[in-house]
Amino acid sequence: MPDGSAELVPASWQPLPGVTGAEIYPYVRKIDNISSNSYLIRTPDAILLIDPGGLAEQAAMLARLIAECREMGKRPVYVLLTHVHIDHFVGIQHIPVFAYKDTVVVMVHEAGARALERGDQSLTAAEMLSTNLSPMNVGVHLFQEERVLSGRTVHRALNNGGRISTAPVPGIPYGEQIQIGTSLLAECFHTPGHSPDSICIRIGSILFIGDILFAASPGVAGIPGWSQEALIQSLGNLEQLLSEGGVTIICPGHGRLIETGDARAMTATVKKEALTLNGIATLTRDRTVEAAAFAEDCMEQVNELFTIMAGRLHYVAYVLDELGEAGVAENTGTLMNSDTVDELLEAFRSFSEEHRQGRRLSIHLALKASQVIGKLEQVFRRSDLAQIIDPSLILRAERLLADYTTMFRGYSPPREITRTDLISLLNALIEGLTIPPCSDDDVLASADDDAAFTAILMARIGARPLLEDVGFRIGERPEHLAVLIDRILFTDLLTYLFEDLVGTGSDMICLDIETSENTTALLLTGTCSRGDSCAVRVKRFLYGLSERAGGSLDCEKVPDGIMYRIQITRATH
Amino acid sequence: MDITSASKDSATVLAISGRIDTATAPELEQNINREIDRGHRKILLNFTGVSYISSGGLRVLLATAKKLKAPEDRFGICGLTPEVQKILKLAGFTSIFLIYPSEGEALAGW
Repeated sequence: MPDGSAELVPASWQPLPGVTGAEIYPYVRKIDNISSNSYLIRTPDAILLIDPGGLAEQAAMLARLIAECREMGKRPVYVLLTHVHIDHFVGIQHIPVFAYKDTVVVMVHEAGARALERGDQSLTAAEMLSTNLSPMNVGVHLFQEERVLSGRTVHRALNNGGRISTAPVPGIPYGEQIQIGTSLLAECFHTPGHSPDSICIRIGSILFIGDILFAASPGVAGIPGWSQEALIQSLGNLEQLLSEGGVTIICPGHGRLIETGDARAMTATVKKEALTLNGIATLTRDRTVEAAAFAEDCMEQVNELFTIMAGRLHYVAYVLDELGEAGVAENTGTLMNSDTVDELLEAFRSFSEEHRQGRRLSIHLALKASQVIGKLEQVFRRSDLAQIIDPSLILRAERLLADYTTMFRGYSPPREITRTDLISLLNALIEGLTIPPCSDDDVLASADDDAAFTAILMARIGARPLLEDVGFRIGERPEHLAVLIDRILFTDLLTYLFEDLVGTGSDMICLDIETSENTTALLLTGTCSRGDSCAVRVKRFLYGLSERAGGSLDCEKVPDGIMYRIQITRATH
Repeated sequence: MDITSASKDSATVLAISGRIDTATAPELEQNINREIDRGHRKILLNFTGVSYISSGGLRVLLATAKKLKAPEDRFGICGLTPEVQKILKLAGFTSIFLIYPSEGEALAGW
């Protein structure tokens, strides 16, 4: 099998395409940020391990394979890192054999080598992943400036008994090649961006690319040492390497192996994504803690909104079925995959629970939220759903998903505080909460058209006004009142508060407005019997939303129920 | 999730505690169906101990409402926590089956 073909079989030895006498053992893991893939290569006179991974058991398994190879013939061992993030190498710090300088020589880009030798907690991502890192000896510093500039071939005899020579890659200014023993030529290409020391390595027709294709992803972009400018340049260089021909298999740092055509398409996509990341904040441990807290608050609301949306669809299907429209009822099930929604939300909840118990790091939770949100975005048909259930539910769900991704990226979720007429905003909101989206006239007008009638019928069932069977009173108010708020976020906030009061049993809701010279307070009171405290995370979410909307929210128990008070600033002329 | 079943007056009361989610909703459905198969057609779910319901759980409630719609049948839920009450209300479910503050108030009317 794979001899020059585009396939390699994981976890087995096989010929390395393009290098006579060399064999490769790919160790491919599911994608996570705990440990990378590893690639072990053997020739008659050398053993090369690319990225030993972050787990001790993975490194131990690789050490056993290396020992088996050395039993067949003693050979020097080299460890070559695509970069020095701990998930690519820290496993070897637990396995003594890798520390024997007489056996193993570690080769890393100069910037990474220096980081390893000083035990840099930041550039290695050890700090973010709460892992202890001991300083480490590096036998060969690649891409040392003076050597690269000299353009000469340098021959070296190493402690492990091996001989290597390094030289520039002809015609590629960002390349340095290492001749390892007699038959193994590793061409290294400096591709910074994901980290300052990132390299891609071409051996035969395989290109090992490290994490460059993940470098624009949320939770990865912005880590210490990340550079947008360098990444865009490196992705351009990668495109060039892939388009030159000769590369048939791409071995990434995480996940399955990739064919060249797919890798080219992915590179273009990542580059497009990277171009949008201007001004991204550095992803420090503090920010991962902040992102994890936001993820928990945000997902609590996402959970509620998606459960309500799915419930509404079940309800529509139920009523249609009762009306003898079983076929139409069944079709509503295609608008949202509610089983998948449940599974995703449950997966996040379990993860969040483990985080609270200290078994998961904040970065893991933040990444899990990002992964779940990415999948949730795929499981519902927005425009069709909005024809049936309250579009505000869908829009708010979409905004929450987008806000989390934006926040995790290191940006502030968008807000636009502008001069707004509060009274017209309230009138529009209350109209939406009290008047059904389809009038009786709409129903009558559709009577002759089966499809139109079905659509109207579904909307009538699916989108009932929130205040339909709740008493509502709005107090005295001026004709116009200019305030400084984000119109969309403020409308979302009020909708959440109305939903909270209606959902928890208020049969009467009052909205009063108090104005002073500089501020305006909206008092939303509901006659529900529950206490003044909703769940902590819900409260934290609502307070945060209020702040972003331009207000300040308080919640207090009043004799007949609970009252939300939102303080906002009046706009001056 | 824990479910305990008890006969009270002419009704069967299933007291549920914990989360009704993807993993536990099928178990709830099986318990309800077992009671219906035994000819118990007045079923009250006591949700006092239910902290969460997923869309899978909502589907079980609707499936039960469908099975118990003869004039002499009764299907209701009591003791909703604010979180669960909000989901049922906003999903539109409170118009399908009967919601009671407590077991006593439910059974008094049955």
